[in-house]
Amino acid sequence: MNSRIKLMLEDVLQKKHHQFRQNIDNEILHDFTDSLKEQKLSDVQRAQKRLTWVLDNEIPVILPNEKIVLTRTVQKIPEIFKEEEWREIRKEHYIHEKGRVCNISSNYSYTIEVGLEERRKEILLAIENHLSLGNKKNNEFLESVLQSIDDIEKLADKYAQLAFESGKEDVYNVLKQIPRYGARSFYEALQFFRILHFTLWTSGNYHNTVGRFDQYMFKFLKRDLDSAILDYDSAFELLEEFFISFNKDSDLYPGMQQGDNGQSLVLGGVDENGGDAFNLLSEMCLKASLELKLIDPKINLRVNKYTPIEKYDLGTELTKEGLGFPQYSNDEVVIPGLLSKGYELKDARDYVVAACWEFIIPGFGMDIPNITALSFAKVVDKSIKKHLEHCKDFDSFMDYVKLEIKGELNSLVSSLKNIYMEPAPFQSLLMNGCIEKGKDISLGARYNNYGIHGTGISTAVDSLAAIKKFVFGEKSVTAKEIISAIETNFEGDYTLWQKLRYEAPKMGNDDDFADSIAVNLLNDFSELTENLINERGGCYRPGSGSAMYYLWHAKDIGASADGRKKGESLSANFSPGLNVKLNGPISIIRSFSKPDMKKIMNGGPLTLELHDTVFRNRESIRKVSSLVKSYMDMGGHQLQINAVNREKLLEAKIHPDLYKNLIVRVWGWSGYFTELDELYQDHIIQRTELNI
Amino acid sequence: MSKGIIFNIEEFAVHDGPGIRKLVFFKGCPLHCTWCHNPEGISFRKELMVSNASCIKCGKCKEICIHKECTVCGNCVDVCPLRLRKISGMEMEATELAKKLLKGEEVLINSGGGITISGGEPLAQPAFFFDLVQHLKPLNIAVETSGYARNEIFRKMVSEVDLILMDIKHTDSEIHKNYTGVDNSLILENLEYLCRSATDFFIRIPLIPGVNDSVLNMERTAALIKDARHLRRVELLPYHQTAPAKYSMVNKVFKPEFDTNKKVNIWLDIFEKHNINAIVL
Repeated sequence: MNSRIKLMLEDVLQKKHHQFRQNIDNEILHDFTDSLKEQKLSDVQRAQKRLTWVLDNEIPVILPNEKIVLTRTVQKIPEIFKEEEWREIRKEHYIHEKGRVCNISSNYSYTIEVGLEERRKEILLAIENHLSLGNKKNNEFLESVLQSIDDIEKLADKYAQLAFESGKEDVYNVLKQIPRYGARSFYEALQFFRILHFTLWTSGNYHNTVGRFDQYMFKFLKRDLDSAILDYDSAFELLEEFFISFNKDSDLYPGMQQGDNGQSLVLGGVDENGGDAFNLLSEMCLKASLELKLIDPKINLRVNKYTPIEKYDLGTELTKEGLGFPQYSNDEVVIPGLLSKGYELKDARDYVVAACWEFIIPGFGMDIPNITALSFAKVVDKSIKKHLEHCKDFDSFMDYVKLEIKGELNSLVSSLKNIYMEPAPFQSLLMNGCIEKGKDISLGARYNNYGIHGTGISTAVDSLAAIKKFVFGEKSVTAKEIISAIETNFEGDYTLWQKLRYEAPKMGNDDDFADSIAVNLLNDFSELTENLINERGGCYRPGSGSAMYYLWHAKDIGASADGRKKGESLSANFSPGLNVKLNGPISIIRSFSKPDMKKIMNGGPLTLELHDTVFRNRESIRKVSSLVKSYMDMGGHQLQINAVNREKLLEAKIHPDLYKNLIVRVWGWSGYFTELDELYQDHIIQRTELNI
Repeated sequence: MSKGIIFNIEEFAVHDGPGIRKLVFFKGCPLHCTWCHNPEGISFRKELMVSNASCIKCGKCKEICIHKECTVCGNCVDVCPLRLRKISGMEMEATELAKKLLKGEEVLINSGGGITISGGEPLAQPAFFFDLVQHLKPLNIAVETSGYARNEIFRKMVSEVDLILMDIKHTDSEIHKNYTGVDNSLILENLEYLCRSATDFFIRIPLIPGVNDSVLNMERTAALIKDARHLRRVELLPYHQTAPAKYSMVNKVFKPEFDTNKKVNIWLDIFEKHNINAIVL
């Protein structure tokens, strides 16, 4: 990191740029929303007006030392519907999260390559075509996209003017070329990306992922290096500045928790012919992230049979920093999984991860990979209370569990009717085919599949394992006793609680007795989603992620048959139960690679916590790499390792001021520990205690 | 078929030989080093081990106990709601232990690792040790030893394993006896044999402040091993303040007899001078 980058990094960490943020009164925002209604604008026009309003209100700011510009000064993005309008919409429609297009991956590269003026021509041509076909409705959408191009160009001109006035010749020259015309250099391409990404956020779209940055940006880098416009060091400097830019406005981005902003960047993987795509830029990104130690962009590494152990080492070096990433995804499992759900080979090979871990296709996917979640723990709880007493053996009980999964899935899916999202004309410009078809991305794309998370898998498996052993195997506990124990939260039967909690087999110990139950449950989940079709003609994708559902689902049930008391958490994602003492990482990766993860193709990582002392030297780092590689070789789909020091966490809780930069990863994303709610903090501490 | 006693298996040992290794700790040791950080590894018998840190003092353990002195009956273990009590020490057949260690061996093999047998002192249970080694082959086997074993046992071990990690605690026999409870002559004899053998080995030196971290002792240690053809490296392990952490758990008192706060001297250059690869762990 050179001195310029160091200064910029310090400034951003100290939030110096926050001084430029405008305090726009909420009333002004409300007035704006009201005016949209008064003007009787259509939904798409409203969305477009919002972007125009935000970008018009943006005041250009060039921070000291900056080469890649654009800093948010408008803090809040106005709504396009009044509250009562939303209430009406909700009556008729299913609304996912905030009702906006989110969590997809844009095709940035095409626009970066050709420039907005070329895109404008395409839109004008499309308008003409639609006019000749008499499709006036589509033109309203296309006119809106056109307006967004004007808005962006205007914003860029404002910045160019400021750059000129403040003698920033390099910035000025770049902005004279892009965004109107295609990027000619790595520098211009990075600035172009910044403009597009900035505009997505100001459009109100969120979880705007970065995609396969090392693939679509490589040609610009290579050209500059080959023609000696840049040397390695100056290219690296630009890349570091670019990475810093992801952290300037991220506190303004919507998310469930601070840090949950979905700026996932994917590296490596295979190219369109199935060959290894890891390149110089992939390596530079890993190194830049390692030097900067910032939570954004969030690094994901795609690995496959070509990935040499040295590349895993680069990942492990990054893990060591305690950022909670990289998250590894295994091409050998993910790509066949996507193919099995009807994705085209070329698209499947191009997969990226959404905000957390779900596998989506850049440019072509309008999948909603986190639309709902199946609570395995709840299904098992229900099955115990309804069926356990009449079952003569474990297999017949498992048949009932399957039936309950089916019932639960049907009920989840049946609520997903008549979905509505605010139109997203600018986001549509960055998705393939929207302009040609004159169709807003909120209405769908090539892929319109819905993902169903699977939560509480280990709690469900451990509960079933206890039942299999004690009720049907040893017959030392009766069905009645189990039911009464979980209904009363084990009050009055301390011995039974002990037995269930500590003496039953658990998932994660490489014990087939428990692990085979996981295999069955996940097979059932996959089989039962196979024939479900959503209203957009897409399929349902079963997954092993949990997102925040693991907290909500824990509240839905009381105690469970694995000895988990009422109120105790479920584990996040695809992980062993909390409070379960395990043999160690080898057993865990073996247990968690037994289910056929090709079928659980929505994603959701196995999370391992390793105490930071295992990362002490190069040799031990290689060993962590080998462990990751082993999980992939065994057929694991996705893995993420936390380097944790429990003492550090406890101290951080008491002295948050001293640990502002302590980063941890919860579910799919990294956040600053001291900024998390106490509930999350305790959860993380509880998780790390098992490693002592 | 032989039986032995162990006190732990660690699945992901990264500092005990090459690659990913499973590490098994034999219970019992003829030495009594005052700096020992695994006090549960000293006795050859089962022991009650209690972690007091998060005890909620519910009293359930006291309620159930009917003995005046602990007989390691284990009754209190099961009633502790937080499972803070355990019996340290598992008696096992060598075949049974081998089966447990070999589970998931592909992870060990693919990483260039294997099994490391540690302790306690593994050579203090020779029949069990050799039986286990037979059942683990052909997997890569490493041994961590104090070198305190009868010559014929030590020599047999050298011929049967792939890597030896041997401690040299002190070159001076008096001081050695003071701090470890045993004379070092047997250890030095075995070391001499090891240096002439064809088996790869590491030398490990726990660096104890004011006890063995002098230039003189390091020079003498280096002199003992400098000509060994199969010495792969020297690992220096500086004393760590967490050593006493487990003493109260096994109802023992940590009596170090050296100044635990003193900074430890690390003389890597002495080994480098003799072209010995040395690292600090």
